[in-house]
Amino acid sequence: MKFKGLFGELVRIVSEDGVLWRQEDLMLYEYDALSSLRQPDAVVFPRKTEHVVQIARLALRHNLPLVARGAGTGLSGGSVATEGGILLGFSRMKQILEIDLENQRARVQPGVVNLDLSLAVADEGYYYAPDPSSQKACTIGGNVAENSGGPHTLAYGVTTNHILGLEVVLPDGEVIHTGASYWDRPGYDLTGVFVGSEGTLGIVTEATVRLSRKPEAVKTLLAIYDQVVHATRTVAAITARGITPAALEMMDGFTLRAVEEATHAGYPMDCAAVLLIEVEGLREAVEEHADEIEAVCRENQAREVRRAKSAEERDLLWKGRKTAFGALGRISPNYYVQDGVIPRTRLPEMLDFIGSIEKKYDLRIGNIFHAGDGNLHPLIMYDERDRDQTARVVKAAKDIIMRCVEMGGSITGEHGVGLEKSDLMPLIFSENDLELMGRIKNLFNPLGRLNPGKLLPTGKMCGELRGGIAGGGPV
Amino acid sequence: MTLAVDSELSALVGTSRVVRDHAACAALAVDGKVPECGVAPATAEQVAAVLRYASKHHLALIPRGNGTKLSMGNPPRRYEVALSIGELNRVIHYEPADLTITVEAGMTFRAFQDLAGQSGLWLPLDPRGGGESSIGGIIAANAAGPLRQGFGGPRDMVLGLKVALPDGKIAKTGGRVVKNVAGYDLGKLLTGSCGTLGVIVEASLKLFPKLPERATFAMSAGTLGNAKDLRRSILRSPLDALRLVLLDSPAVALLDDSAPGNERPGAQLWIELGGSHRVIERCMLELRQLTAAVGATMARREGAVEAWGRVSNLAHWLQQKYRDVTVLKAALPAVASEEFLSRAQQEAEAERIALASFAQVGLGIVHLCVLQEDVARTCSVGPRLVPDGQGKAADLQNRSALHLLAGLGERLRKAAVDLGGTLVIEHCPLELKGQVDAWGAGGDDLEAMRKIKVAWDPLEVLSPGRFVGGI
Repeated sequence: MKFKGLFGELVRIVSEDGVLWRQEDLMLYEYDALSSLRQPDAVVFPRKTEHVVQIARLALRHNLPLVARGAGTGLSGGSVATEGGILLGFSRMKQILEIDLENQRARVQPGVVNLDLSLAVADEGYYYAPDPSSQKACTIGGNVAENSGGPHTLAYGVTTNHILGLEVVLPDGEVIHTGASYWDRPGYDLTGVFVGSEGTLGIVTEATVRLSRKPEAVKTLLAIYDQVVHATRTVAAITARGITPAALEMMDGFTLRAVEEATHAGYPMDCAAVLLIEVEGLREAVEEHADEIEAVCRENQAREVRRAKSAEERDLLWKGRKTAFGALGRISPNYYVQDGVIPRTRLPEMLDFIGSIEKKYDLRIGNIFHAGDGNLHPLIMYDERDRDQTARVVKAAKDIIMRCVEMGGSITGEHGVGLEKSDLMPLIFSENDLELMGRIKNLFNPLGRLNPGKLLPTGKMCGELRGGIAGGGPV
Repeated sequence: MTLAVDSELSALVGTSRVVRDHAACAALAVDGKVPECGVAPATAEQVAAVLRYASKHHLALIPRGNGTKLSMGNPPRRYEVALSIGELNRVIHYEPADLTITVEAGMTFRAFQDLAGQSGLWLPLDPRGGGESSIGGIIAANAAGPLRQGFGGPRDMVLGLKVALPDGKIAKTGGRVVKNVAGYDLGKLLTGSCGTLGVIVEASLKLFPKLPERATFAMSAGTLGNAKDLRRSILRSPLDALRLVLLDSPAVALLDDSAPGNERPGAQLWIELGGSHRVIERCMLELRQLTAAVGATMARREGAVEAWGRVSNLAHWLQQKYRDVTVLKAALPAVASEEFLSRAQQEAEAERIALASFAQVGLGIVHLCVLQEDVARTCSVGPRLVPDGQGKAADLQNRSALHLLAGLGERLRKAAVDLGGTLVIEHCPLELKGQVDAWGAGGDDLEAMRKIKVAWDPLEVLSPGRFVGGI
């Protein structure tokens, strides 16, 4: 262990079984789903807010970086301790503290797994709406830090639209409570600032979240296309009809075949693209919308439109979608996922562009994304042992993100800036914009010890994607 | 303001964009405080220049759209310059098929809805101030009306903002796509900051497709207990209310344009639903069952648009009848709404103060309207107030209606806090300003809020003293 005496102090706070410091244990915490970088000096598992307070003070005293980590499923390097220091693991703060169905609220500790929260209220007919693909593993604390999205955020909004209040430990150990369990507490919306701040402003130790009532009816459609452009054109055509589906996802043929081989969800093996569309609400509304959507799909040359006939069929279709990243891992040693956003009307153009990038750099790119809100996830296949190919991946990814920016979009829709994109921030933000963000960071995290190297540009490799992306997580 | 300072301002924006005469400035007064000049910049850059100018000369500035929400907040500590954003009313970017739009912040809500409506779209908000509100003002006040039940509030619809800062810089936050997590979400900080951190000059917003049909049903609940049962069963049902408001008896009378208090129409729960004709028929069926189950009756309310307009713009509407109306807004855990209403009614009855209540019971937002025409007059009701004892009655005679009002405000705030919520004064007669804090006590995050204010506006140029905790 790097810092003599630190171990003893940590043990005094959380006892011996709450600290990891051996090389072989720390190895498990050196990566997230973006890449593998470096180990923390110690991993600590607090059991309550007071532990976090004491650990924060300790880190301050030793001038050590302090990095919070949920399940490590993040795709932008947000939970990697890039400068070492203390990593806070929240696997022992995973209690649902309060469920208040009449107010449609729950109060949870940060280590609660996203899906577990929904399951805890499912029998009563409620759920927690944001549903990242990693929802079986990822935690509410991590979701809050990254302002996570998911397929169903098209209709229901992302994490920030479902968080009402937070308990936060600031880097000096001060505990504050933002927001409330009700709407409109007077004052600045600090909750809104902490959500998506990627662990750089404070450590969330408790969250009050909104619970949503499950819809009466759900219909899931699978529209199958022989040409990608017909699928992408359908997307804007659906919203132009005044219908907001609960989810509107696209997968191209390449991705689909990998998914089908892995999950046997019943996806067609010979098509160019599918749209996975879900409508929810009152029975009558759902029927009407499903019929209308089917008509729009057919007008846009869908070869076939299937409807899930049972809950099992629906689950299978979604299983295919949500495990797609893993399925691609079966056919390529590594892949790099982009997370650009464009206005949805530009999808046909963008898919053409990605096709041209594939040719230009001689790479294989799978496309799977939240088409409804224009949030792209091109997956670039590669083998990290091939250095030339890896270099081409970096260039291709940058070209795609530059095109998103040119189209008036964003460099990240839901994965976060993290380590991966901090130096791309100047592409969409001016010096003034970044300076204003810097003022907020300096105010809460003046010494920069909280999750260092994330979110704001470090200036080290301005405008370049880091080579570090080539690590590839455990797929 | 010295002559030199004066001409410097004119040079920045042009003489025609500055007013100084007393009558014009009096119209820009905030909480009775008249500014020394009013300025209406034509561009975002001019807004920034005026802010830099104000900083340089240590002048306090209050930004305004159409002033529909400026009665909210504590009296300004200083106020020299009124900055109107009304001239900033252009469309910057609009692609209807993307369901997004970027406009300058001074555009009126009416003009905005008209534009979006041409493509069958709208911003599903019913903010205080109605069509006269500016987009910037709606965001600065996070002004959500009853439609928040169905669609969320401004906070959920803002995609990006451009803001002019006290140091004269212009910065932007967010973007114009519907999903974006790049950088700190400073748009949240500005939404609801009531003009204390920066002047919003441009906004990118999410748009929504209009619903084919909307219908309002009024359910006569009778007692608050019944209303509560009904509210619970509606929120548990598959119905998706667009608006859900409980009106107490005086509120119902006011909406029907009859005098409150004369006859007791009983409390009503109003619900607005939307969708296709078939969907609305189904909702009606569902609603009829739920209503019957608690022994209440229901009727479709035709022409409810005007009534909803009043309910979402209470102070403006009620002021026409009650010049010195006070509008208090309690924000509570939703389950406590009816309990709070009942306590408020008891408090008001004890003081013989006329009160009308409009409660967004699905959200826990309760508006209490104190119906007074002239708060400055000495309380005329005298001994009738207290039937039990001459001594106390004599004492009361010397108290003005204003004192009663201040006392009531404090007690209602305490009731809200006891039930786990807060109470703010949204609108009140000038005389009450400064007597009761508009916002109530801050929490353990107040210090962090103060630090943000200092980091963004160190010289206290923007709306000093108007916000929470003296910010």
